[in-house]
Amino acid sequence: MSAAHHSSSGRARPVGFSRLKQVWTIAKVELRRAFFAKRGLWVYGLALLPAVIFFAHGLQVKVRAERLTRRGLTEAAVINTLREGEALADVKARVGKPAEERWGTRVRRVRNTAVNKGTTAHVIDPAVDARFVRLNITRPAYSGEQVAKIFDFEIYGADERQNLALGHPATGSAPCSPSQGPEKAVNGSVGGGKDDQWCSEDWPLFLQVDLGAIRPVKRFVVKHASAGGENEDSDTRDFNIQVSTDGKRFTTVATSSGARYADERTEYRDLVYFDGRREARLLFVDGKLDSMRIEPLLNFEEDRTIFAGIFQYFYLRLAIFFGCLGMFMYLFSGEMSNRTLHYWFLAPARRDVLLAGKYAAGLIASTVIFAGGALLAFGVMVWPHEAVELQSFRAAGGMAQAFWYASAAALGCVGYGSVFLAVGLYVRNPIVPAAVLLAWEGINGVLPPVLQKISILYYLQSLCPVPAPIDSNAPTLIRLLASPPAHASRAAAIVGLLVLTAAVLWIASRAVRTMQISYGAET
Amino acid sequence: MSASERASADAAVVFNEVSKFYGDVLGVNRVTLNIPPGITSLVGPNGSGKTTLMNLMTGLIHPDHGSILMRGISPRDPEALMRITGYATQYDTAPRWATGFTFITTGLLLFGYSRTAAEEKAWKALERVSLTDAANRKVAGYSKGMRQRVRLAQAIAHDPEVLVLDEPLNGLDPLVRAETIALFRLWANEGKHVILSSHVLQEVDLISDQVVLIANGMIIAEGSIRTVREEIEEHPSQYLVRCHDASGVASLLFSEDHVTEIRLNSDRMGLLVMTTDREQFARALGRIALNGHRIEGVVPADENVDAVYEYLIGGE
Repeated sequence: MSAAHHSSSGRARPVGFSRLKQVWTIAKVELRRAFFAKRGLWVYGLALLPAVIFFAHGLQVKVRAERLTRRGLTEAAVINTLREGEALADVKARVGKPAEERWGTRVRRVRNTAVNKGTTAHVIDPAVDARFVRLNITRPAYSGEQVAKIFDFEIYGADERQNLALGHPATGSAPCSPSQGPEKAVNGSVGGGKDDQWCSEDWPLFLQVDLGAIRPVKRFVVKHASAGGENEDSDTRDFNIQVSTDGKRFTTVATSSGARYADERTEYRDLVYFDGRREARLLFVDGKLDSMRIEPLLNFEEDRTIFAGIFQYFYLRLAIFFGCLGMFMYLFSGEMSNRTLHYWFLAPARRDVLLAGKYAAGLIASTVIFAGGALLAFGVMVWPHEAVELQSFRAAGGMAQAFWYASAAALGCVGYGSVFLAVGLYVRNPIVPAAVLLAWEGINGVLPPVLQKISILYYLQSLCPVPAPIDSNAPTLIRLLASPPAHASRAAAIVGLLVLTAAVLWIASRAVRTMQISYGAET
Repeated sequence: MSASERASADAAVVFNEVSKFYGDVLGVNRVTLNIPPGITSLVGPNGSGKTTLMNLMTGLIHPDHGSILMRGISPRDPEALMRITGYATQYDTAPRWATGFTFITTGLLLFGYSRTAAEEKAWKALERVSLTDAANRKVAGYSKGMRQRVRLAQAIAHDPEVLVLDEPLNGLDPLVRAETIALFRLWANEGKHVILSSHVLQEVDLISDQVVLIANGMIIAEGSIRTVREEIEEHPSQYLVRCHDASGVASLLFSEDHVTEIRLNSDRMGLLVMTTDREQFARALGRIALNGHRIEGVVPADENVDAVYEYLIGGE
């Protein structure tokens, strides 16, 4: 700018290299804050969480393998002979003492379905004379509901052919509704639904049929709720049948109680055999091998997939996102609220140089923390696996995966760092911008391609070496949101991310150039 | 612009019609200044705009209107400006990590000095403000006066040509204060700008080559301390006089030399009097009252400016 020729004091203005030196001087001062800010310690927690998870997993597997080995190993070939349906005793005799054995019995109280279900018949031998037959219901339903429901009550004489009750006058306790009167229990049908039954909830519950004349009766048939298509639990639980010749003195001729339950016992038994690598888990049900799972205690491929999932869903989307928020957003506004920003503004440095210095400090710290955290987690994930497996993994170039994870983490810091640095220059409260950005990054997978390119995650996902696991049954939208297909080649992704970052930093540099010190009340 | 004019502009701190608003609140209004090298004091009550002017000079804030040149350099170019400028603010803060020594050294490293040179200069600056004993203690643990001095040391460490010091004498004990004033004089004699602020005129009138009086964001007087004093005394004051016989009193007052203007209120119950001499005016009013005219009250009409003067020069 035009002032250049005015710096007549004889001191040369810094150019090129000296500006870089200024950037580094600023970065060195800021690094201390970036690494050791007390309110930033949670960032380490985020960065180390995957490593802690895999360490716990590895440790647990190692401890388990050790314990199973101590209890005795089984030959792999013998384990391979196990077949479903084998008896417990046979298995034990053939394979030997298991490394672990656990058993338990499950007892289930089941209703004795032989009693009072649907239709019940009650025979009196010898037949008795009766004109009035009364059905007394003492416990109306298994469900505990206090409503009696009888679809049909049939009375047979000595010949057992003719239903003496059919069409005869019936009385009883007050019905639930006018369409459910006692006559419905003697109409000879059960197929008419809810209005083809006698229903009463007026205690004492009873249904009485007048046969018109004294007749010998020998057999009764009661059609309960389920005979008419209702729930079995509404079947009558306890009842008795009384007869009378004069309608005054009744004699009980049949009693039925459904209060009978049975305990259904099932024995479950888990046996574990271990061949030094694979664990066979056998489930016996009532002494028979019902199902079994034979799988390696440590599954390298599965662990790598889990790592990919944790890395993409947790590490990139949340840990690095919020970590960069914490580390970059306050680079300027933190010093504004501490009232120390003016010291930087009073230094003989361009504002862009200050921005670059602060960004460099944040970037170095966040990259060390998050790329380091990714490498550490990968190392810890690999650690418990067998040397043979690792060797072939390494021979196939598998260790490059570690490099790409670290790169994705580092570039995540580059991208998210620039975004939050810029955001911090425009807004002070992180909640709203964080929510907006998180949503933006989240819906990225379903945006049109042009908009997708304005997202950090778009590029980072292209760098991940292993696709994140996703349930293929999940709806398409969820699949797209969680794990859009990798779109760009790695080179294109890196270039794209750097271009996006440069654009964001350019916006930030404009803001910082016109930034003014405002610590509150000015005089 | 001739070469000599440019040379003088290059050597001065120039404000051209500068205004600054904080939202709707006025910071400073249409300030035009031309400050030559030497000791210049910005004097005005708290809240009058002194700090705003200083922040504008150093680019911490930018004007809404007008332009500023500091020895020919725009405050929007900190890379050039801060090489020749040092600013000790009133913001009583320092980075938590810093000791007095590392604080100043770090600042100097940004000038491109080697570490040895930076440390040497930092030490020299701390010596100048008599803070070497506490140099290796955390600034956060300093007393208020020590923090004041470390900020002064930070401002002078790179030997700037323009020193901007916001209330630099506040909180200094008399000995350090005398030493500091001697330093200001030394620098001024070397041709530097020493621009400081104070809300007490007596504190700075003896040491300043020029003073700038500010009130409510406006420059009300500027120049050598003698010019300013005369300007203050010559500045006509307005009074509102309430009385029953307004025209009678007006004719009596009008015969006085110091009264330059009289305006009658439309209700004939009061008059607005402009006088160049407040003491004589007071005496004249006394005489008029003794002569039997009922004077109900006298109120200064341009209270603001008057109040500032009385505040600054200690009233009558």
